[in-house]
Amino acid sequence: MTSILKSNSSVGGLAMGTARVLVRGTRGSEARILPEAMDCERERLRSLIAGSSSPDIFSAHLEMLDDPLLLETIENNIAEGMAPREAVEAAAEGIAAMLSGCGDDYMAARADDVRDVCRGIVESLCGDSSNQFADIPDDSVLVAEELFPSDTARMDFSKVRALVTRKGSVTSHVCIIARSRGVPVVLGVDIDAIKDGDYLLVDGGRAEVRINPAEKETETFRKGIGNDNTVPEEIRRLVRESGIRIFANAGSVEDIKEAIAGGAEGIGLFRTEFLFMDRNGLPSEEEQYRIYRQAVEACEGRPITIRTMDIGGDKAVPGLDIPKEDNPFLGMRAIRISLSRPELFKAQIRAILRASAYGTVRIMLPMITRVDEVTAAKALVSECMEGLKASGTPFDNDIKVGIMVETPAAVLVSDLLAQEVDFFSIGTNDLTQYVMAADRGNSSVSYLYNPLDPAVARAVGMVVEAAGKVGIPVGVCGEAAADAKAMEFFCRTGVDSLSLASPSISGLTT
Amino acid sequence: MTVKKLTIEAANGLHARPAGDLVKLVKSFPGTAVSIATPAKKVNASSILSLLSLGLKKGTEIEIMAEGPDEERAAEEIVLFLGRLEA
Repeated sequence: MTSILKSNSSVGGLAMGTARVLVRGTRGSEARILPEAMDCERERLRSLIAGSSSPDIFSAHLEMLDDPLLLETIENNIAEGMAPREAVEAAAEGIAAMLSGCGDDYMAARADDVRDVCRGIVESLCGDSSNQFADIPDDSVLVAEELFPSDTARMDFSKVRALVTRKGSVTSHVCIIARSRGVPVVLGVDIDAIKDGDYLLVDGGRAEVRINPAEKETETFRKGIGNDNTVPEEIRRLVRESGIRIFANAGSVEDIKEAIAGGAEGIGLFRTEFLFMDRNGLPSEEEQYRIYRQAVEACEGRPITIRTMDIGGDKAVPGLDIPKEDNPFLGMRAIRISLSRPELFKAQIRAILRASAYGTVRIMLPMITRVDEVTAAKALVSECMEGLKASGTPFDNDIKVGIMVETPAAVLVSDLLAQEVDFFSIGTNDLTQYVMAADRGNSSVSYLYNPLDPAVARAVGMVVEAAGKVGIPVGVCGEAAADAKAMEFFCRTGVDSLSLASPSISGLTT
Repeated sequence: MTVKKLTIEAANGLHARPAGDLVKLVKSFPGTAVSIATPAKKVNASSILSLLSLGLKKGTEIEIMAEGPDEERAAEEIVLFLGRLEA
């Protein structure tokens, strides 16, 4: 009998693999004295800063390590008779509780940072410098009490299929990185029930972990994942012969490199949210331009579709100061935020335009519901082009502007939208959720969440027909594009391209 | 002791990166002790953790208290710094 662990906090996606239960080396006795341990941790952080793609977070850790409040609290605890290790742990919990008490997600993430730093001190105190992440086997599901920002820097994400933890929040650094890499996470799980070496099925969408499932269950699950072993050869042949183009989804420049190496014909969806999340303030035009240009160059001449920021919904951004909403998926999201903050939007458009001088770039607008949103966005694009022309800055004058079709409204007016845009990309995740009025994270209605439901399939058909009449291409991005049945459906419906997560691409391109 | 009053205008309040910059600024006046107080709490401004724990948000009223050889210049520069925070 399979045991199932449920929770209500997760990052979506399906994955399976062998449990790797992390035991933090904090059980031994103290091998070092406190000042030595602090020096060790300082060195460790410096090396992380030198080798990390997100050095800011570790610079902040370094500062916390030398913080007078932290030192003072630890020293007071020792004066009260605690052993050094206990003193550090108590200080961490005390300060973390104080920061979490501020009541916002941002501060809760800083509380994680403090605990991360203190855990590092404790590990040094106990003389444990082993890197538990160094020898993770392929196809592992990491199981831990909690995961810290510094863990993500040490983790080889190419081997990690999923993360399962007892503590943590979906807005933590770890979850943001996991989301951008397409790695599902289930938080709030009673991990005592999982033993090292157990086989786990992780369903991020349902926030569920199945331990040592029956073979039949694993089979069903594997079909759900739709990874390369599961798309039958006949479907892969159909894909190759249909001439449908295979692009990759990417959330970072590293993802793009991986996708191109894996045979992708280009990037069908470059998410830009990572630039806006888990940071102070908002990214400048320069910072965005640098990243977009790196992204474009990493494509080595292949096309890349850059989606303007798709934030709001379940993706909160501290720098935007969006008030809490009862229904974030029906609220200020994506293009709605962009159009309400034209200066912010124009900075992003200019950055994309400037990067377009270095390759084949398309601009994609998310969450479109009405034609006037497209005309307003296009007017801003033209305005930015005029500005760049005036300053003699190079960009692609023929840049294509298209939209995500992911709302029922966009489907219903797809004939009108088709006259305004250069391409459509159907976002199956949100389209299914909005057409079926079913939250994909809610297990009680997940039976409704089916991208091949006749209602969703008809919506896709309408979009393809509307596009066909004016001769613009239609792509599909979203998890369904990697599912064998859905893939067959999209090929037969006349979709021009699929954009998939990199691991799903193998065997589809020639 | 020099005391200055100020209302936080930055939309994001004081997050980790600017708090870190503020700590650096405070430390550039060695020998001058700086505290920041909200109506609820007073903390040492050379501690990033203490600063974060204030939970400074747009609209929070604060007092900057500096004591030491450079107290006036320190207080003034901190007021300037907080006033310049990205909106």
